[in-house]
This record gives sequence, C-alpha cells and structure tokens, in this order.
Amino acid sequence: MLNAILGLACLILTAASLLVGPADLDLRSSFSGLFAGGDEAAMIIMQEIRLPRALLALTIGISLGLAGAVLQGLLRNPLAEPGLIGVTSSASFGAVAIFYTGLAGASLYALPAGALAGAALSVVLLLAIAARNGATLTLILAGVALTSLTGALTSLVLNLSPNPFASYEIIFWLLGSLRDRSMSHVWLALPLMALGWLLLAASARALDALSLGEEAASSLGIRLSATRLLVVLGTALAVGAGTAVAGAIGFIGLVVPHLVRPFTDRLPSSLLVPSALGGGALLLAADIAARLVVPTRELNVGVLTALIGAPFFLWLVVRARRELF
Amino acid sequence: MRGCPADREGRRSVARPSVLSDISPARAEINLVLAADNLPPCGGAVGRAETRGSGQGVWQPRGGRRRAMLLTAIVSALSSTAPAADLPRIMSMNVCTDQLVLLLAETEQIVSLSDLSLDPSLSYLHAEAAPYPKNSGRAEEVFLARPDLVVTGTFSLHNTTSLLETLDFAVEEFAYDQSVDTIPGEIRRMGALIGQDARAETIASAYERDLADLRARQCTMKPTAIAYEQNGVVLGEGTLADSVIDAAGFTNLATELGYSAMTPLPLEHLVSHQPDIVVVSEPMTDAPALADQIAHHPALRALETSRIGAFVPRGAWACGGPFVIEAVRALTELREEIASCDPAR
Repeated sequence: MLNAILGLACLILTAASLLVGPADLDLRSSFSGLFAGGDEAAMIIMQEIRLPRALLALTIGISLGLAGAVLQGLLRNPLAEPGLIGVTSSASFGAVAIFYTGLAGASLYALPAGALAGAALSVVLLLAIAARNGATLTLILAGVALTSLTGALTSLVLNLSPNPFASYEIIFWLLGSLRDRSMSHVWLALPLMALGWLLLAASARALDALSLGEEAASSLGIRLSATRLLVVLGTALAVGAGTAVAGAIGFIGLVVPHLVRPFTDRLPSSLLVPSALGGGALLLAADIAARLVVPTRELNVGVLTALIGAPFFLWLVVRARRELF
Repeated sequence: MRGCPADREGRRSVARPSVLSDISPARAEINLVLAADNLPPCGGAVGRAETRGSGQGVWQPRGGRRRAMLLTAIVSALSSTAPAADLPRIMSMNVCTDQLVLLLAETEQIVSLSDLSLDPSLSYLHAEAAPYPKNSGRAEEVFLARPDLVVTGTFSLHNTTSLLETLDFAVEEFAYDQSVDTIPGEIRRMGALIGQDARAETIASAYERDLADLRARQCTMKPTAIAYEQNGVVLGEGTLADSVIDAAGFTNLATELGYSAMTPLPLEHLVSHQPDIVVVSEPMTDAPALADQIAHHPALRALETSRIGAFVPRGAWACGGPFVIEAVRALTELREEIASCDPAR
C-alpha cells in the first residue's frame, strides 16, 4: 500500500517535472513532443532537455533514499546518510580531482570514474571507523570531518584550475544541480546506479539480522564482511554515479527513511523500497521547486534539499538526544 | 622629464637587481632599453644598482658584457638620436589595452603587457604579444618598472588603479563597454596617449572604411543569430558581440528577447526560438570545465535548421580593436551564404 502510494507520487511528480520549464509549452504540445514528435522545438525541449532532467531527479533520488536506508540499517545509526557522513562530498571530490586536472581529457567518463572511487574510499574509511567505535556520535563527527576536508579540497582543485569557469563550478559540486543535463548524462549514470541498487537490495536480509546485533547476525549465518562489501560497492555505485552528473545533493537519504519508517513494520529490509521511492519523489519535488521559486533564476537543488533536511536533522538530534548520547 | 626624489631613488636601487637578473634574451633587451631610458635623470642610482647586481652570483659571469651593452645604450639615449627614447614608455594591465598598445606602439615603448595577452581565446594578437615581458596587474610591478603611462580597463583592478593614482603614476582607463563604432575612437585615443597619432589615424580610418564596406552589404534579409557562450551565457544588448552581429546584418536573438550584457539564457528558450546560427565559443583553455559542455548539449545538436559553430575567428570579438573587423567579415560572409541578398539566387 505504502509502496503503491509512493510509486504513484513518483509518477505524478515525474509528469509534473516534464511540464515545468522556462519555455511555455502547453499540455498537448508537451505530450506530443515527448512521444510523437510533431513540432521540432517542442520535441527537442521535451526529449533532450526535460526528460533527462526528470529521469535524473527520479533515479538520483532513488539512489540517495535507498543508500540512506541501507546505511542506517548497517550502521544501526539513525543519522547515517550519504551526505552527512561524507560519501557525497567525497564522490564530488573524486569527480573534480579527475575531471578538472585533465587526467582523462575533457571526457565525461572521467566524472563517474572519479566519483565512484571517491565514494568507495569514503565508505571504506567510515566503516573502519565505525568498526573500532560504534557510537553514533563518532561516525557523525568523522563524517563532518570528511565532508569539510573533501569540500575544501574540491574548492582548492577548482580554484587552481587554469580554466576561469572552474571556480564558478564550486557551487555545483557542493550544492548539486540538474540544470541542462542531457540524455548522455542519463546513460552515463543510470546503468551504474541500477547496479548499485541491486547490490544494496541484496543486503536486505543481512540488515534485518543485523538489527539484532552483530553476534546474533553471525549466529544466523550472516557473513558480516560480505554484507559490508555489498554496501560499500552499492553505495559507491548509486551515490557516486548520481553525484558525478548532478553534484552533491544532501539530506535526501536522511529525511526519507525517517518519514516512511512509521508506516512500515520497522524492519530495515521493509524500509528499502519505500525509502527509494520516497527519495525519488522528494528529489523530483525539490527540483521542480528549484525551477519555480525564483522564476528568472534557477536555484541549485542542493540548496532546497538542505533547507528541508538541515532543520529535520536538527530536530532528529534534539529529539534523539537522550537515546543517542 | 621625471624627477628623482631621494626616497624613490633609494627604492629603485633596491629594485634594480631583480629586474636585471632576468636572463631571458627578449626581456634583457627590453630591460636594457628600460634602464637606458631611466638613466639620464637618475644615472647615479642605476650605476649603484649595477654594482650591486654584479655582486650577485647569478650575474657575475655576464656582468662585463652586460655593462658594455648598457653603456652603448646610455650613449644612444643621451645623444637623443633614437626617437623612441622620447616616446612615453607604456605598461598595459588589461588584455584589451594590450592589443591596442601592440598595434600602435614602438617595440621600445612597451614595458610590459598583461599576462592575459597570451591567451588565444581573449587576445587576437596573442602571438604578437609573446616576446614582451608580462605583468599580472599588481601595483608593485608598476612601481618597479616605472612606466611613463599605465593603461588599463575600467572593468577590473579598481584598487590597483586608485593606488597607482595616489602614487602619482599616470593611469589611463579604457572602457569595457564598446561597440564596433567606438573602436576607431579608442584607437585614436590610444595613439594620442602614446605619441603615435599618425599610426593610429591610419589604422582607425582603414577600419572605418572596412566597416562601412561590410555594412553596405546588409539588406532587408536579417537572419537571427545568437552568441551562446560557456554556461549558456548570451551576449545581449550593449555588448561588442551584439554590435558585431548587427553590423554583419543579423538580428541578435538575445537582444530581441530583451537580454542585455552577459546573461544566462535557458537552453529551452534558445531551442524554442530556433535561431539561424548559434555562435558557440571554444574552450578557453585545455583545462576542462563543465561550463564548456553546453556547446555539446544534444538539444543544440538536434536543431536541424540552425547552424552551430564557432564561426568568429578566435579572440576576434573579445576586445575592441581593429581585428573586430575580422569577426564582422566572418559573420557577413556566413550571412550571405545562408540568406543571400541577391533575389536571383
């Protein structure tokens, strides 16, 4: 039931996203432009500009929501989220480090390669820290440090680039955007994200067992190291590929699992699908708002997700204070 | 003639060795002229400095030869047979004034140009700029080089400009907002400032003639064009590119849509208006940036009735100068190709 509602929300918001844009296209020409052809301009706007944007918002949202739910389950930490613990910003830094130094020419393929490497490294680092000290606070603080460090390094690389436009792109890499993406970005990111979803979903049973504690999970036959590997690779693929084409978009993976959890049986595994769909819906909504809030100048969608997510994070911290620390 | 108050003399004698210790041949020549021109009013200071310079390890092996050359230069400067010594020595701190100076000044007049003058995407005359010393637009550099005149743009370096004026340097600013019609005036103004009036007049009137000829090729057929730069920024009303597009007989779509100066235009708008030509800019450097990718967006490539390309010679409309005529010419030829004025064709 919950999944059906969230799936419907994704569909409606995808359609809405396709109808929002600076060019005034009426409903009929939008529809015919998307499916049939007809007017050349309408067709290009729908198929080459709005469709990739809506698809990326949906799939990146799914990636972030799913990765958030899985990380919260694996680390048994309600504050774990790709953005907060530094995975997204590490992915940004990885993409920036490889793309702007020109190591791979101006090829777009450099972006996911770097982002995946950055994301994977950060997850490995965070798991190592969490294994030594399981406290919620330790992981969050390590994430804060990692986010600051990679954010600073991202800015540094962009400032050092001889290309005068690179400095302006700091905001893109720190507060993502879906402006003027194209189908080539979709083909670049979607296969990697889909593979990431499969790996993350494969960890579902282990996450349920882990909610009983690591020893109990081992006694149930769960191989913890295999689960960790699944989550590291899955998160790196899903979050890294999304960040490579849209920059760092935060808080989706934090907000969504908390919002949908009361409507589930609270098992980590039954949280995965609703979190993924909810993430897609939330990012679609935020991206529509980013285009509508200031009609003449588009906002970075990462600003909006932070505006929603940061107060939510504060509320979580205040509410959970007694239980956590 | 410049005065040489004691305090400045003191600072100069400290500065001199660092100027002379540059051993690149092209710069050494300039530095020599520079030193020679400085000598008559302040000979003592330079003499002292040279002694100091010779004391430094770097200069020891070549000191003798250098001093002989310096003496030759002094003699020629003192005898006033070289007219270049009477002309003001110019330091340019802006990529646009760089190019006017390069066109008009004698080699000996040029103290240094801005380091952007080597950038092919901004500087049409980047190859010509190569042999000259470069500055990065800092007041300290002016202080060390002591030019007679600093030329710069109004657009940038306001702090430097006001600091230099406080320090009694002659600074002339050139406005950034230009059109094809203000260029001859700018050429003549620069010519007057650097004592090359006749040369400026020749170049400016040739430009005016060419521009009038190209404008005469316009007709009522006015296809639409748009300059779509990095990040989807368009060059609208009031930009040099806008006046070039107009002079070449196109309608600038950006101006038509009410955009002025450099403003981002949503890709959707560009696609829905389907301009006849889209002038995209080439990447400014080899270093990649996402900003350059807008030119490769599939939506642009899918526009079947639009012609997309760089079209304008690199750097030809980045600055006001006589070379802007090459941008007008290239676009005029393109327009005649896609929309001929001849009704028979």
